[in-house]
Amino acid sequence: MVEPQDSAPVEQAELIALDSRQKHVLRIRAALLGFVPLAMLCVADFLLNQELGFPFGWGVGLGVLLYISAVLVVPGRRYRRWGYRAGANAIRIASGLLIRKETVVPYVRVQHIDVSRGPIERAFGVATLTLHTAGSYNSIVDLPGLAIDDANRMRDEIRAHIRQDLA
Amino acid sequence: MSEGPENGSRLHPATLAIRAIERLPQLVLGLPAAAYFIGDSGIVIALLLAGVGLAASMLFAFIYWRRFTYWVGDEQLVIESGILNRNRRTIPFDRIQDISLEQKLLARIFGVSIVRIETGSSGGDEGELNCVSGAEADRLRDRIRAYRAGNVVVKNAVEERAADDDTPLYVMSFARLIIAGLFNFSLVFLAILGGIGQYMGSYVPANYLDPSQWIGGDQDTVIGLISALSVVSFGIFLLIIGVISGLLRTVAQDFGFRLTRTETGLRRQRGLFTRTDVVIPLRRVQAGILSTGIIKRIFGWNALAVQSLGSDGDAGTHHEIAPLAKRDELVPVLDELSLPPPPPAEDFTRVSTKMIWRSWAQSGIALALALIIGSVFGEAWPWLLLLLVPVLLVIPVLRYRAHGYYFAGEILFVRRGFWRPRVTILPLAKVQSATLVRGPVQRGFHVATLAIGTAGASRALPLMIGDLEMGTARHLLAGRVVTQ
Repeated sequence: MVEPQDSAPVEQAELIALDSRQKHVLRIRAALLGFVPLAMLCVADFLLNQELGFPFGWGVGLGVLLYISAVLVVPGRRYRRWGYRAGANAIRIASGLLIRKETVVPYVRVQHIDVSRGPIERAFGVATLTLHTAGSYNSIVDLPGLAIDDANRMRDEIRAHIRQDLA
Repeated sequence: MSEGPENGSRLHPATLAIRAIERLPQLVLGLPAAAYFIGDSGIVIALLLAGVGLAASMLFAFIYWRRFTYWVGDEQLVIESGILNRNRRTIPFDRIQDISLEQKLLARIFGVSIVRIETGSSGGDEGELNCVSGAEADRLRDRIRAYRAGNVVVKNAVEERAADDDTPLYVMSFARLIIAGLFNFSLVFLAILGGIGQYMGSYVPANYLDPSQWIGGDQDTVIGLISALSVVSFGIFLLIIGVISGLLRTVAQDFGFRLTRTETGLRRQRGLFTRTDVVIPLRRVQAGILSTGIIKRIFGWNALAVQSLGSDGDAGTHHEIAPLAKRDELVPVLDELSLPPPPPAEDFTRVSTKMIWRSWAQSGIALALALIIGSVFGEAWPWLLLLLVPVLLVIPVLRYRAHGYYFAGEILFVRRGFWRPRVTILPLAKVQSATLVRGPVQRGFHVATLAIGTAGASRALPLMIGDLEMGTARHLLAGRVVTQ
C-alpha cells in the first residue's frame, strides 16, 4: 500500500514529542532484542546449507540487513510517531509505526497510575507513565519516554483528578 | 442473632451431606483402579480403603465445618475459618457490591444455597458461605440491603420487599422458554456423540458402513442413491440433534426466569438444576446490549444484556437480563436501567462505504499471498480458496449495511453484525477511553476505526465503530465520545 501523505504532519504538530533520550532507549532495546531473530536466521541459513544445499549467506545477509534497519532506521521513526497532549480533562497519546493508534483517556476514568523505569530507561533518565482504566479494551495505556521529573509531575496532576468514586 | 463474632453461626449441616455425596462418584471411579493395583484378591481391601478414605475426608470436612463461623453485625460481616491457620475476615457492608445466591441440584434438594459476596476488589472469592439455608441467605441479603438503603434493620422490611417482588419486570413463560430454545440451535452434543462414536468405532465392523456390502452387487447407481440418501439423512440427524441440544441447554439455564426490581438493582433468578439468584446493582451497570439473530429478527425477538462492573460467575461481567422479548416488553426494563430504547435502524449514521473496499482489499491481499506461497511450493490446494471469493465479496457488504452509530444526547448507540445484529446502548459518561486505530490498509483508504473502552465488555468483541472517514473519526474522538 502506498503511504499517503494524510493529515499526519498536522496531528503530529499539535502533540508534544517524547524526551529525545527515548530514541536511545528504543535503539538499545532494538539492538538487544534484534539478536534473537538474527541468531535464528543464521541457524536457519546454516541448516539449509548443510541439509538442502542452499547457497550459504542469504540468511545471514538478510538477518544483518534487517538488524541494521531495526537498529538504525526503525527506532527513529517509531520515536517520531509517539506524541502526547495533556488537556484540561483528558490526555491524548499517539503511537504506532505500522498500526497507528491515538488514544484519549479522560482523567476521571483513570483507576491508578504507574511510573516505571527499566534498567535502560534508568540509564537515560526517562520513565514510562502507565494509566490503568476499568475498560476491557486498551485498559492499560503506556506513555514511555518522559523525563523522570515530567512523569512524576504528570502523575501528580492526574492523581488530583481522580475521585474516590469509582462508579 | 449473636452479640459478637465469637459466637457466630455455622453453615448449614446439610453442607456435610452434600460434600459426602459429591465425593462418592470419585470413589466409585477409583475403585476398579485400586482393585487392579491390589490384585484380584483385594476387592474387599479396596472397599475398605475407600471407606477409610471417605471417612478421613469427611472427618476433615466436619472439623472444617466446626471451625467455620460467620457473624452478621450491624455494619459488617465477619467470617472465621481455618483448622490450624485461623483466618478472620471482616467485610464492611459499605464495600459489598453484590450478593449472589447459587443452588446446585443437590443444594436444592436440601434447601440450601451458596452465598457469594463480591466486594469489587480484583480477586474472585472475597467471601463465600457454602452453604446456608435459604431463609438464612434471604436474611443476610435483606440485612445488607437494608443497611445499604440507609435504614437500620427494620423488622418488616422483608415483608415489604416480598410485596415488591411480586410485580416482576420480566418473566419467561414456558412457551417463551421453548421458543428461545428453538432459536438456540447448537451442536454441542454432536461433539459428545462424536467422542462416543470414536469409542464405539472399534466395535462396529468396518464393512457395516460400506454400502456395497449391503446390496452385494456392483450397481453404481444404487450405491450412489444410498450415499445421497445417507448424506441427506445425516443432515437431518444433525439438525435434530442441534435443535434438541439447544432446547435442553436453554431450559436448563433459563427455566423460571424472573427479573424483579429491588431498591438498589435488578434481581435475576433462573435455572432448572442449578438455580442462581443474582442482584445487578444499577449504579454498576455500564451499558446495555440488545441483540437478536438473523431469523429472530423477523419475528421481532430480542435479547437484552447489560455490562456491569459486578461479576456473574463464569460469565464475566455480562449479565443476560431478558433472553427473549419483544421490543415493547423491554422498554420498562430499559427504563429501570435509565437507558433509552434504540432508534429505528434507518436513523443510524452509516460508516464510510470504504469499509467494503477496505475489506475486499484485505481479503484480496491475503488471497494473493496464499496463492503465491502455494505456487512457490508447488501446492495446488490454495486454488480451492478461490471458491471463497463470492463469500468474501458479499460479507463486507452485509456487514457494512448492518453497521452504524447514533447519538441521542449523552447516549451513544452502535449497531453491528448482520448474522447476529446487536445494538450497544452506551451512556457517554461510562466511556473509559477511546482509541483511533489505523492499520496499513486503512491508512491507504484514509479511514480509521474508533475503539471505545468500556468496563465489563467482552475482550473478544470490544465496542468499535469501524472504518470512519478520517475527519469524522477525529471529530468523534476529540469532541463527541470523550470530552477533552
